[in-house]
Amino acid sequence: MDRIGPIAGNFVAALVPATLAVLGVFIANLPLSVFGGLLPAPQLALMPVYFWCLVRPDLMRPFTAFIIGVLEDLFSGGPPGIWGAAFVITYAFVDRQRDSFAGLSGAAAILGFGVALLVCSGTAYAIISVYYWQLPPLAVLLMQIAVSMLLYIPGASFMGFVHRRFVGPLRSDF
Amino acid sequence: MANGTWRIARGRNGAHLPLAIVAVLAIVLILLGKAQSSIFDRARTSVTDWMRPALEAVSAPFAGVAHWVGGLGGIFTVYEDNLKLKQQNARLMQWRNRAVVLEARLNRYNRLLHAVPDPALSWRMAHVIGHASQPFEQTMILDAGKADGIKPGQAVIDSRGMVGRIFLTGEHTSWVLLLTDLNSRIPVMIEPSHAHAIMAGDNELAPVIETLSQGVKLKDGDQVVTSGDGGLLPPGLAVGTVVSRGGEFRVVLLADPANAEDVDIVNYQRPIENPPPVSPGDLPAVSAGLPPAVPQPSVPAVAAPGPAPVPGANPAMPAKPGTPPASAPQGADDEDH
Repeated sequence: MDRIGPIAGNFVAALVPATLAVLGVFIANLPLSVFGGLLPAPQLALMPVYFWCLVRPDLMRPFTAFIIGVLEDLFSGGPPGIWGAAFVITYAFVDRQRDSFAGLSGAAAILGFGVALLVCSGTAYAIISVYYWQLPPLAVLLMQIAVSMLLYIPGASFMGFVHRRFVGPLRSDF
Repeated sequence: MANGTWRIARGRNGAHLPLAIVAVLAIVLILLGKAQSSIFDRARTSVTDWMRPALEAVSAPFAGVAHWVGGLGGIFTVYEDNLKLKQQNARLMQWRNRAVVLEARLNRYNRLLHAVPDPALSWRMAHVIGHASQPFEQTMILDAGKADGIKPGQAVIDSRGMVGRIFLTGEHTSWVLLLTDLNSRIPVMIEPSHAHAIMAGDNELAPVIETLSQGVKLKDGDQVVTSGDGGLLPPGLAVGTVVSRGGEFRVVLLADPANAEDVDIVNYQRPIENPPPVSPGDLPAVSAGLPPAVPQPSVPAVAAPGPAPVPGANPAMPAKPGTPPASAPQGADDEDH
């Protein structure tokens, strides 16, 4: 299918990354128990934020990342602003290291997402520790990072497909 | 490309919020949430109320897939599972008969002792439409809210035991704080020692036993139920089993929040206790060995037309400002409190 027309295309292109991230928030907070509750829900919402921050930062802006983080706070039941701040810090980190991250491919690209995830989770962990004045267990957080990194493999392929099909050229195509 | 800058200015449109402003916004939101959480709670319930149809619609196909995936492993053990279930069923039938006999005996004893009956509980079933299993939050969203009589503080149970407590209610949705959440603290009683303790969640699968009375010794396999202390939760709700792990006692929960699809919300209202009226003999002066104060008859300053007020006739009625107190006995004031 050819890309949709320029006006509608721009509109859709602007909506696709944020929509996928919001969908990620939904899915991560659905009452599902594929692994019997042993594993935490993956950080699905960060995937589109990371992906489009690299490939088309004009479609994933800091404010969008912040709103997606706040939605994550809303739907997870946690205190407000924790994931919002974590997403913004991660965005800033990826933004500063964009050329390094964008040049990664294969397993290194997964590791790149892992680093971004580590920054995001570490930030949230630090804020939560200060917020509640106690250290939450790290094991669950590390499991979430591992699960999210594994899911980023199909996730990145899917987002790449969606991007080429509905959004437009990749940053590297310019 | 201007890499490493704190301004996102590489987009085609120039109107972007600088990253620093968004970061400040995030910090302000955290501080605001800490200081005025009710604002965010209202927003949260409004959003979930609004998103409820979408949550239900999105969860249905995923739940189907999860059922299917979860059932795959069971295909190969159907025969063994069936045998185990038959044996378990036979044992449970024996227990059931025993429970019926014991319940009848308990009722008889209660009647003989004229014991105050336990307050009647009522349940409201709700469907789980959201479940956050994040590293820092263990919550659930239910499809019942204020419109269904759900109130914060009510206990939520599944078919096996207590899952958590309602901590936020919207009009048609409500939020459950699971027992495993970092913020969960409930008063429990440990059987058979009747020891009272606080069970605290720390985002692990098994919450920890805290604030145990001194000298109490727990052992693996002790049963944990809600104690009812504080009057928020009904006493006797099954919670879990004690296990010792790493020098501390934890509670393996009976309930399975990860797989819960339908839960019951317990409507428990502790009956208001009416203490017996205070007699003059209960006053501190008498207890201290002093004679009780003799009430002085009040003399109206101005003879008002109409029927004279009867002293102490209606102590519940508030007096008008500036009116001298009626000459009721000293104990009458105490009755109001």
